[in-house]
Amino acid sequence: MAAMNELAQVVKTPPKEPSAMTRRELIGRLTKLGASALATAIGGGAVMEALSPAPAVAAPRTGTAEPATTRKFYYGMVIDTKRCVGCKACVVACKAENKTPPGVAYTVVLDGALGNNPNDKPLFMTKPCFHCENPPCVDVCPVGATFKRSQDGIVVVDYDRCIGCRYCITGCPYGARSFDFGENYPAVADHTPYAAVPSPEYGQYQVRREDASPIGNVRKCTFCIHLQDADGRYDRQAGRWPACAKTCTGHAIHFGDFADVNSEVSRLLRERQAIRLKEELGTNPNVYYLL
Amino acid sequence: MYVFDDKIGRRKFLKAAGATAAVAAAGAGLSGCASFGSKDRRMAANEAGASQWGREAGEWIPSCCNMCGGQSGILAHVVDGVVVKIEPNHWNPNNYSNISTDFFEGYTEEYGCAEGGALCPKGNAGIMQLYDPDRVKKPLKRTNRDKSPGADPQWSEISWDQALDEIAAKLKQLRNAGEAHKLLWMSEDHSFTHIQNDFCKLYGTPNYSMHSNLCDVARKASFRMVMGDDRPLPDMIQSKYILLFGWNPTSAIKWVYLPRILTQGIERGAKLVVVDPYLSDTATKANEWVAIRPGTDGALALAMGHVIVRDELYDKDFVANWVSGFAEYAAYVKDKTPQWAEKITSIPARTLERLAAEVATTKPACIDVWSGPGQHTNGVQGGRAIAALAALLGGYDRPGTQIIPDKRGNKHAEVKPDAGAQQTLKNPRFDQLKEKYPFGHSSGVYTQLFMNLLNGEGPYQPKMMMCVFQNPMMAVPGAQNIVKALAKLETLVVIDTMLSETAMLADYVLPGTTYLERYDLNSHWVTWSALGLRQPVVKPLFGQPTEYETVAALGRRLDLREETGEAFFSIGRLSRQPVEDLTAWYEEFLSNELKQGAPGITLDELKRLPGAVWVDRKGTRYEKYAEPLSPEKLKTAFFDGNPRAEGTAVYDKPKDQGGKRIGTVIGGQAVRGFFTPSGKAELYTPSFAQKKDANGNPVNPLPEYKPRDWQPDEQYPLYLINWKEANHTHTRTQNNPWLLDIKPNNPLLIHPETAGRLGIAEGDEVWVESPHSKVKAHAHLTRRMHPEVVGAQHGFGHTALGKNARGRGTNFGGLNTTKSDPLSGQAVHKEICVRVHRA
Repeated sequence: MAAMNELAQVVKTPPKEPSAMTRRELIGRLTKLGASALATAIGGGAVMEALSPAPAVAAPRTGTAEPATTRKFYYGMVIDTKRCVGCKACVVACKAENKTPPGVAYTVVLDGALGNNPNDKPLFMTKPCFHCENPPCVDVCPVGATFKRSQDGIVVVDYDRCIGCRYCITGCPYGARSFDFGENYPAVADHTPYAAVPSPEYGQYQVRREDASPIGNVRKCTFCIHLQDADGRYDRQAGRWPACAKTCTGHAIHFGDFADVNSEVSRLLRERQAIRLKEELGTNPNVYYLL
Repeated sequence: MYVFDDKIGRRKFLKAAGATAAVAAAGAGLSGCASFGSKDRRMAANEAGASQWGREAGEWIPSCCNMCGGQSGILAHVVDGVVVKIEPNHWNPNNYSNISTDFFEGYTEEYGCAEGGALCPKGNAGIMQLYDPDRVKKPLKRTNRDKSPGADPQWSEISWDQALDEIAAKLKQLRNAGEAHKLLWMSEDHSFTHIQNDFCKLYGTPNYSMHSNLCDVARKASFRMVMGDDRPLPDMIQSKYILLFGWNPTSAIKWVYLPRILTQGIERGAKLVVVDPYLSDTATKANEWVAIRPGTDGALALAMGHVIVRDELYDKDFVANWVSGFAEYAAYVKDKTPQWAEKITSIPARTLERLAAEVATTKPACIDVWSGPGQHTNGVQGGRAIAALAALLGGYDRPGTQIIPDKRGNKHAEVKPDAGAQQTLKNPRFDQLKEKYPFGHSSGVYTQLFMNLLNGEGPYQPKMMMCVFQNPMMAVPGAQNIVKALAKLETLVVIDTMLSETAMLADYVLPGTTYLERYDLNSHWVTWSALGLRQPVVKPLFGQPTEYETVAALGRRLDLREETGEAFFSIGRLSRQPVEDLTAWYEEFLSNELKQGAPGITLDELKRLPGAVWVDRKGTRYEKYAEPLSPEKLKTAFFDGNPRAEGTAVYDKPKDQGGKRIGTVIGGQAVRGFFTPSGKAELYTPSFAQKKDANGNPVNPLPEYKPRDWQPDEQYPLYLINWKEANHTHTRTQNNPWLLDIKPNNPLLIHPETAGRLGIAEGDEVWVESPHSKVKAHAHLTRRMHPEVVGAQHGFGHTALGKNARGRGTNFGGLNTTKSDPLSGQAVHKEICVRVHRA
């Protein structure tokens, strides 16, 4: 029932400045589906496809790009746990890049003890969004606010559409999403000169304002897509590279394009043994770990 | 000039000429990117915002970090006078490697080092330090005479002129009364130290001290005794066996190259062994964690030496040619068997035998020791036993071992004080550094200083203290003593960006500047000569003078002059012309140090270098000890004895003319050697027997093992240790919200078996009690801790500093006494015994 109320909210409160899908379109599609169909749709399934973009193509495990329609890049990460020292520079660099508020972290560092180690020795691993090929978060979004970009597979959130229902937070098996409750760090809350600095996220350069998006939205790692050039490419030495990878003290975070056989990430997957988390769920993540 | 060259597609460093054209070209940069959705899902981008705030907007200013003392390079993105982002500086070796071949492989002037530099969490969080709303913004004057702990200082805001006038008047009064030596000065160890030192000399006080004696002067003394250098640097990336005693380089990061050279050393085949009572974050990367009782590392090292000598596993060539005192050492370790050490260290004799054989037969091995063992009363001799192991194995100045760094950087031009100052400078230091501490460091001895002050002891009673970026209330062991000692001063002036616990006891607090608002020169943190510039990337936020400007302004008010009569703080050091503007004066001060130092360039020239870093292309040199002295040096050299005889010391000029040791005659030739009495690495130094430690006991000429003073007993059965992590610096960053996000407090770590015995469960609030005090903490149960030991990260438990810091975690410093190691004056933070029970 709660789910239904949330959906009803969409209809009552149109998204601010809808861009790709207009309010009328959205309402039209919802109406066509009918209330009963909606109720079953929440768990994800056929009906959701009506709201989702074209189904994602499977990522090639190594470099050979499939003849995908508009897909140019298969961006992802290979994270070397042998190099990760658990310093959390990535967590802070991400904050500094995306100007995320308290309680919103696009990457975290796991430091759980290894079960089979008599000394509670932890295994450090930084955990951004995995930008899955089959992202459950996308499937459960009732308004199509979160989607996988057809050109490079990066999973994004359209703040103008997000209604803050947080289904995607529960839908993500990796805990990669956080809700923006509107808290602020003192430097922002106290209106220091830093409060004027906008977040470059999605190239929107929004200055943080009370009661304005992305407050009330769900937020997540974007692989720093605002640093891509017009062709959708990153450039490491230009500093146009995900903030976490750029600062990593152990040089553990490798980022790149799996479609490019010569990329560092493709080479690492060929040469080293890699794992993905919760492989059994069939999410097909684009972030690999070297053990 | 740093621009985005769209053609090449990289951030590029451009020489000043032609930069303007490139900027214009880069401006067109990314404007094609109208949507960050996808073709079917447009998400409107804000192009005006991008051109105003994007990476192409504003400036990228190269500088150096100072969130800790590591001085890594940074690039600060500044738009409209606001720091938007801080990123690694790829031109600064501190961000990449301490070995030149590794740094230069793939390095280009345009783009810096091949893989790009790194920056630790603190470096990334510098913005929150700069824009912390709790910063001190105006000079504060205390109106409440009551300085008891917790008393409200009843601050009154005063103008800078009034503050400087009043402080100068007090300084003048002291100086005019012939009591200049009664001024104590404490400073941080990496920032504008030279000008503070100069001020003290010209003013006439011998009491300039700085942070190092709270940190690593025990290590400095240990290595100096064995191989004649204060700070050898470990070449981990080329090593095949890395043996660390009580050092946590991947977490207590300091130089941000450390995680890289350690993990890549392992990748290239090195084995890592970490000896520590705590399975530190570094130990998580190790092949083996050796859990040792605190303060017993020296015994372990001697027993390893026993095995190495017994089985003749030492480097016979190196020992024959470059080591002195082998016979005496061999005799001394004869009874230091693994079984003997097992009882002391709790490490099984079998493990010890194996480790000794491994480290001796895997070459090159890199053996290092820092503040774990160092911050104990037996820390210097313990560290010396470890440094001696490296000598046995030929582990100095060869690839993959401990390298003697080339410390040439900027040169501190000595000042010559006037007659009045010379008079008061004749007084001994108040902390009795020279009389009491035979292996002391020029940074002084804070513990002795405060105990003398508290007890009315020492050569005289000081009246005034200038305390710059130091927080002895939390940083010096035994806070209960420090608060009473500080109250004995007539005037305490604190310069800091935050109202620290110490600032709360001050008579005047002057707002300091963060490293993003000021200058400095940073050198010798890699094995070859390199120097990075710190420069203001924004103006001081509250219009305050920087610390060096405050010092110079006081110097002008006091009209401090050199012996020649020259008004030191008014005359440009290069131009020798009056310079009115304080910033311009200091820029010349730095230019002079650069011109006279290794770079030989001016400040402006340094600013124009890629990354604002000067790097000596000659790079790391090895086996410098074997290098013959150049004919040039020999021309003016002074031989202190027969120039052919083995062991004759060589000086650059006669000793009575202030000659500096430059080498030793070894094998009939004048070579650099090691700067020890014999010119070789020393396992035994007979002359040490003539020295007495601070307790009046003779110094053992051998690296003896003596139990530390404070041992657990029935009442206080547990060892209490502490450490640093990558997420905070000392007691300085606990108000920084980004860093609190990644480390919000410091639970007390306790082994589950120990906790079980005490009826303590995960998360329980516990009392931690020593004979001196008790504090509350939260227990975290983990087998990462030696069962006889409890421990926590240092730096939390503030009662001041700022709104975020107050009341977070626990400050364990008050459980300790105010005490130092008797050889070096190192504060013994890690020598505490406690009992723990549920609160």
